[in-house]
Order: sequence, then structure tokens, then C-alpha cells
Amino acid sequence: MEARELAEMALREALGLGADEVAVEAVMRTSRQVRFANNEITVVKTWDSLELGVYLAKGRKVVGTFLSNVDPEAVRSAIRDLMSLLAVMRERPDYAPLPEGPFAYRAIPGLYDRGLAELGEKAVDLVESAINKALEAGGRRAAGTLAFGEEEITLLTSRGVEAEHRRTRAELVVRALADGESAGVGTTCGTRLKDLDPELAGEEAGRFARLSLNPEPLEPGRYDVVFGRPAAAVFFDIVAGMTSAFYVDSGLSCFMGKLGQKVASDIVSIHDDATLEAGLGSRPFDDEGLPTARKAIIERGVLKTYLHNSITAKRHNTTSTANAGWVVPRPWNVVVEAGDRADEELVGGVEHGLFVNNITYVRFQDYAKGDFSAVIRDGVFLIEGGELKKGVKGLRLSDNVLNILSSVRALSKEARQVFHWWMEWGSPAVVTPLVLAEKVGFTVPTK
Amino acid sequence: MRDLAELAVELALRMGADYAEARFHDDKANFYVLRNGIPEMAGFERSRGVGIRVLVEGSMGFTSLNRPDKSLLELRVREAVSMARASARTRKKPISFSEEKAEEASWEARAKEPYEDVPVEEKMELLMDLEKMLTDRGEVGVQVPFRLLQLIESTTERYFVNSEGAKISCRVPRMEFVALTTAFEPGKGTEQDMVQEGASRGWEFVRELEPLELIRERIRALARVLKEGASPPKGTIDIVLGSEVVGLMVHESCGHPYEADRIMGREAAQAGESFVSVDMLGQRIGTEVVTVVDDPTLEGSYGYYLYDDEGVKARRRYLIKDGIINEFLHNRETAAALGVSSNAAARASGFDREPIVRMANTFMLPGDHEFEELLEDIKLGVFIKTFGEWNIDDRRFNMRFIGREAYLIEKGEIKGPVRRPVLEITTPGFYGSIDALDKNLAFSAATCGKGDPVQGVPVWLGGPNVRMRNVRLGGL
Repeated sequence: MEARELAEMALREALGLGADEVAVEAVMRTSRQVRFANNEITVVKTWDSLELGVYLAKGRKVVGTFLSNVDPEAVRSAIRDLMSLLAVMRERPDYAPLPEGPFAYRAIPGLYDRGLAELGEKAVDLVESAINKALEAGGRRAAGTLAFGEEEITLLTSRGVEAEHRRTRAELVVRALADGESAGVGTTCGTRLKDLDPELAGEEAGRFARLSLNPEPLEPGRYDVVFGRPAAAVFFDIVAGMTSAFYVDSGLSCFMGKLGQKVASDIVSIHDDATLEAGLGSRPFDDEGLPTARKAIIERGVLKTYLHNSITAKRHNTTSTANAGWVVPRPWNVVVEAGDRADEELVGGVEHGLFVNNITYVRFQDYAKGDFSAVIRDGVFLIEGGELKKGVKGLRLSDNVLNILSSVRALSKEARQVFHWWMEWGSPAVVTPLVLAEKVGFTVPTK
Repeated sequence: MRDLAELAVELALRMGADYAEARFHDDKANFYVLRNGIPEMAGFERSRGVGIRVLVEGSMGFTSLNRPDKSLLELRVREAVSMARASARTRKKPISFSEEKAEEASWEARAKEPYEDVPVEEKMELLMDLEKMLTDRGEVGVQVPFRLLQLIESTTERYFVNSEGAKISCRVPRMEFVALTTAFEPGKGTEQDMVQEGASRGWEFVRELEPLELIRERIRALARVLKEGASPPKGTIDIVLGSEVVGLMVHESCGHPYEADRIMGREAAQAGESFVSVDMLGQRIGTEVVTVVDDPTLEGSYGYYLYDDEGVKARRRYLIKDGIINEFLHNRETAAALGVSSNAAARASGFDREPIVRMANTFMLPGDHEFEELLEDIKLGVFIKTFGEWNIDDRRFNMRFIGREAYLIEKGEIKGPVRRPVLEITTPGFYGSIDALDKNLAFSAATCGKGDPVQGVPVWLGGPNVRMRNVRLGGL
């Protein structure tokens, strides 16, 4: 049974069993991945899947399921089980119905590329060119992942929504190592084959690795810091993710109670844009079927909105922002407004500070306050007199989300779309320039 | 779909694979979530499919599918073989697997009280009782404005078959309880706590856990830290770490860097590599009292298994023995590369993931001290019982843990609470500072993430309370 047929069957079954409201999302996906390390390919993977999500509501109660067992009888059985679960669940005081459709959706350009869908074994060539470039630029070993594929989403709801969307995507990350402690990273991603630049990713990774050779320890303290695009992507993923009303209402956001308030410096504007041409997270409708749109999350430093689905919107006495997630509203494409300086000018304007290309392993002591620390890597340099002076090791970024947002002093003018494997707050992609922030905290081990 | 697993192996060999294996999974999970008293979308996941791995001309291919369609299976196996063959030209050294016995076995974890037999109402009632307690300031001693409570029950059923004749079936039920809470005190701000407990058992695990008592005690302690917590002492002090902190530290700074795939660079792009190199086997990393093991065979443990996802029989691994680097964690690929046997550390989180080198239950073996004996000659120190923020660099050398529930130690006695002591230390600094362990071994549960796409696998972290000498707390 194919996706549409399966979704229609699930919808029919659920309504037949007495559900008030039903949403069914079927996702058919073929994705591939070429992983490499030590300059050789370690594994090539292909996934073939048809998965089904089902949302049921009755009498202000809500249940749901995600099924990769899509045998028709298994789907019928799951829906019967969902109805039994509904019977014993408790009512939600914040219940809101699904949006009343049907809706018209705008086509978003550049989201499907047959050349990418049919890339096949040519992926090995792209990986080889990235590895070769990383080695030419100064890396001794290159590791990474090229992931690519296509998917078709079918969404049907009992409120008249019938929506379909097809897209392709690819992400390449290259990490080069010049020795055990000296590494660099480069990334490239997009929805079309022409968006990918494996040589650029390889060159950036190799260059950062070479420049990082013989890193030296540095005193802990507060430094002006230029964040590279991978680091900025991880940071702004946190910022956008924390505006999800689910996290706000769970004590997991430092933006709680700050709507309409200044949360960042004046030059910070961040949009969530599901309609971005060739955006990795672009899509015409959310998981409730509402047409998506571009919206400001932070505009000139002021927090403009939380991200909502119908239920969180009701809780906040507002309307959905078309960011459903049936449970957790999430951003689509996070777009950080670029500044007016070249990358080199941003670094050139720092008398004494740091360049931090990448951050990972972000962990919070207190989400509600925004206190966190993160591992910095893949190109960490001391900047002296506007130049990258030497590689630095042993430091850890230790600060606060709101502090950093408020201390942003400049942005470079070239924003690029970044996919980052660490973006764990739900952004499919972040479009970001380099970011200069003042007096950011860094700590070191004591023993 | 078991038949499809066997067919996949046959097809792969016919198409030219030198080795083939297939895993059929039938996995189920149920979720019950209460957020600030509101039942979030309860529900379940049901996942079924086959994952296939092949070796062709020294290259590896993997594919998975969830539709029981023979022609689709043939298409995907053919693609796995041809993609592996196409990538062979990039390999200077072919991938091979260590020689292992082809096992035929069937094993399971037993639930005394299967969760399927416990009414949903009882599970929701437990969460509602917790909610009632957490919103009663008299009970917990502080306002708790945010409460996120979850019960997760799951079962994985797996069938493994390979071209060497191995055939292994298993069934493992698991229970997990997670509570994320935020305490607030006017003028003092917030403190947050997270509890995660789990086991490969049935509902009896939740009953024995006594979640109400557990959370009551945790929040009362959090309230004290929030209201009375003093700044931690400066200068060089002694530190006693609670089991929960020790468990996470050994997982992060011993388990991960001893994963042979990290040591050999296979995970370099994302998770990273290791400060440990192959030639460090036999070198001293810690004091003589330090022994760290990883043991999948602990009955009832969250990371329990008897055969890994490559069909190799599991055993206890001594990673650090009496302070010496003793053994790495291996799958068949890394074992062959280093000329040893696999020690059964290959795990896959689902049918659609390749098996990679993972931990199971990692813990420091306990010593013979009483807890009070750890404290008795400490003039000035801190007892860090639980943690909040933590991380470690990609070579697993530089780590940081911030205490959540922590107390001052003065003249051998526990005094008042201390707020947010920062332990920022290198891995050799940690293992080299430990001079005593008590006899109280305890475990907590976690979901360990690794790989790309990421694979979360259930693990236990554990250890006794341990004493470290002459350490300076960190932070700005």
C-alpha cells in the first residue's frame, strides 16, 4: 500500500471508530549516506521507509502514534489501540481543535532536484573530491558524512486538509585533522545538487586544521569572540528552539515571560522562514495542515513571538504560527539577518579575542536562566591585532544564552545555510553569517 | 519478516557479498507524559523492519527497509552490494571481521509484572500523584513551577542471522521513568533537576523505585540548595563524588575513549576521536584503587544483553584494572583491525541503524570503605552528590560537571549545602586523584547517543561514592 492510500485508510478507520478529530501524516523516504574516516569510505547506507504518524482526539483527549510497521492490519490494530487508550486518558484543559481546512498552499521553489535524487554511486566521487581538497589544504586525515535523499509527505486531516509535498536534500560535513588536537570542519548543504560545494567544505576543513597546528593553552576569562558559521548555527538553533511554546511552558527556555522584551542587541534579527527557496527545512504546511509563512522571532533585539501549534497557541491566547509538531512546535529554517562587513573585516576588528569555528556538546545547568557550557573545536584561534595568531586548546565556552545574544556587536554580510549534526533543538537548518560577540566567558580544567 | 532477514543474507551472498547479516526488529514503546498537570499526547511507537549489512571487496554496505516486500528487498540489497563495491576503490586496507563462533541462541529479559498487564489508569495515576506532591509546597519545601513527568515502557524483539550460520533471537522489555523539575524561590532564582531511572524489567521496577519518595527527597534537597546554598570554597580541597556523578564521569571519560572505533578514527567527524591510543594499553591512567568495567550481562540492567548485534556472546569488560588501561570496547571490525577477538560491544538502536561500538553498563567497582570513612580526615572539602550541566571534549580529555545537590565538608562532617560547585578537570587528573571508594555501588539510567544518524541506546552508569584529593574547583 502506498503513502496516500495508507493515509486515507488510517483516516477512515479512525473516524469510523468514533474519533472526533484525526490527522495522518505519511512520509515515504529514500535516503543515503556515505561515511568516511581516515581518508577512506567506512560504510555506505541506504534507507527505504514508509512511516505513518496518527493524531487522534476525542472529548478533549489527545493520543498519537508513530508507526514504521505499516502493514495495513498492523495500522488498523494500532488505531484500535489508540481508541482504547483515548478511553482511559484524561481530558486536556488546554485542548484546541485542529485547524479548519482546506487551505491553499504556495509552491516553494527549489525544493526538489532529480539530479540529487538520482545521485547514486556518483556520491562516492563527491566524497573523494572533498577528501582530496581537505588534504591539499593541510589536513592529514579527513572524516565526514555525505547524506542525501528524497521524501514525500502526505498530510490528511478530518478538517479537510489534503496536502502533499516532495523534496530532496543533501548535507556534507568534512572534518580534517592535522594531528590529534588540531582539527577543522567545513560543511555544505542544500536541496539541489548545484547547492553542494564539496571542495569548499574540504578546503575549509583542511585550512582550519592546518592553522590549528601546535595549539597552546590560554588563560580562562572573558574574550571578544568571532563565532564561525558552524558555531553560530548551533547557538541560533538553541535560540530558535527555546522559543517553542512547549519548551517555554516546560521551564526549558530562557525566553519565558520575555515576549515583547529586549532579549538581544539591536543588530540581532532572527526569522523562521518555512518558505525559503532551497531551504533544508522549507515546507508549505505544518503538521496540522496550516500554510507556513516567514515570521520574525527576534526583531532588532526584541522577542516577537513564540512558536506555536494550535494547542500551545490556545494556552497563550493567540493563534498558531504554523510551526506544529503535534506535541512540540519547532522552527523550519532559522534565518539570522546578515550584517554589512566582510568575514575578514569582522576578525580584523578584534584587537584581542578568539575565533571559535565550531561548538558542540552544549549542556545546560539551568534552561530557565540559559546558563550553559559547550565544547569548542575545529578551529579555535587567538586573535591579536585583527589576525588569527595561533591555535588555542583547553578552553570551554561557559556563559548564558541571553548574555551572548545581548553582547552581539557585529555580523558579517555573507549568510550561508548550515546543517549541523549537533542542532538538537529541532532546526533543520540555520542560515547564518559570522557573529562577533563581546566578553564571552571561557573556562579551563584545574587539574 | 524473519523470512526476509534470511532471504536478505542469501540474496547478498548471491550478489557477490563476502559476508552478510540481517537483523529483524519488532519494537514497541508506549509513552505517558504529564506536563504541569496536563496529559500531553500519550501514545506509542511501533517499529518493524530489517537492517542488512554486507562486506564486499573489503567495503561495507548497509540498508534497511520496513515494508515486507521481496522485490523491494532485492532492490535494496543489490544497491547495498553495488554501493559498497563502488566505494572499495577508496580503501587502502580492506575491512574484515574477527573470527567468532557462529552462535545459535535465544535469550530474554524477564519481567515479573509485564507492563502490558498494568492498567493505563494506574500509570497515569502515578504521574498524577507525583504532580499532586510536587505542587504541595509543604511536601517538597519549595515552589515547583515546572514539572515534566514521563513513563516510557518498551519491548524490543530481535532476530539476527548471518552468513556464517549464526541465528539469535531475543526479547527485552524495559521501563523508564524521567522527571524534569524546576524549583523557584523568590530572590534566589531557579534550580532544575533531572531524574532518569530505567531497567530491563517490568512494572515491578517502577514499584520498587518508589518514585514518590525518590522525587520528594530530590526536591527537598534542591530546595535546601536553592534557599541556603553557599558559594563553594576556593583553593585546593578534597572532593567526594556521589555514585550518580561517578557513573556519568566513567561513562564519559573511560567508556567513550575506550571505544575502539573512536580510537581508530571512525567516529572522527561527529563524536570525535580519543586521547587514548592503541599503544597506551598497559599504561597507568589512575590510582591503584580504580577499576572500571563495562558489563552487559547484569540481569535487569538498562543496558542488558547476552549477545550483541553482531551475534557475539557478551561478557564483562575490564576497561581500567587497578589503575591500568586494560581493554578497549570492540566490535568485529575493530577487533580484526587490532588482531583481537570482539568483546561483544556492537549495538544498534533499531533495525535501521548499523551496529557500532557501544557501552552497556559502565561502572567503577566499589571499594571497602563506609561512606563516613571517606569524610573523616577531610579538613575542607565538598560532597557533590548529583550533577546538572556536564560535557567533555571530543577526545574525552577535558571534562566539566557542575554539582546540583552538593554540601560543604568540614572537619570530617557534612555541613550545609553548596550551590553549583564546578568540577572542571582532565581525565588523568580525575583518575589520578582518587584515593578511596566506599562500598555503596549504585546505578542510574541514561540513553547514550553516538553515531550518524545518531543512535540512542539504553545504558546504566554507576559507581560507589569516591574521594578525590587536592583538587581546585573551576569556573569563572
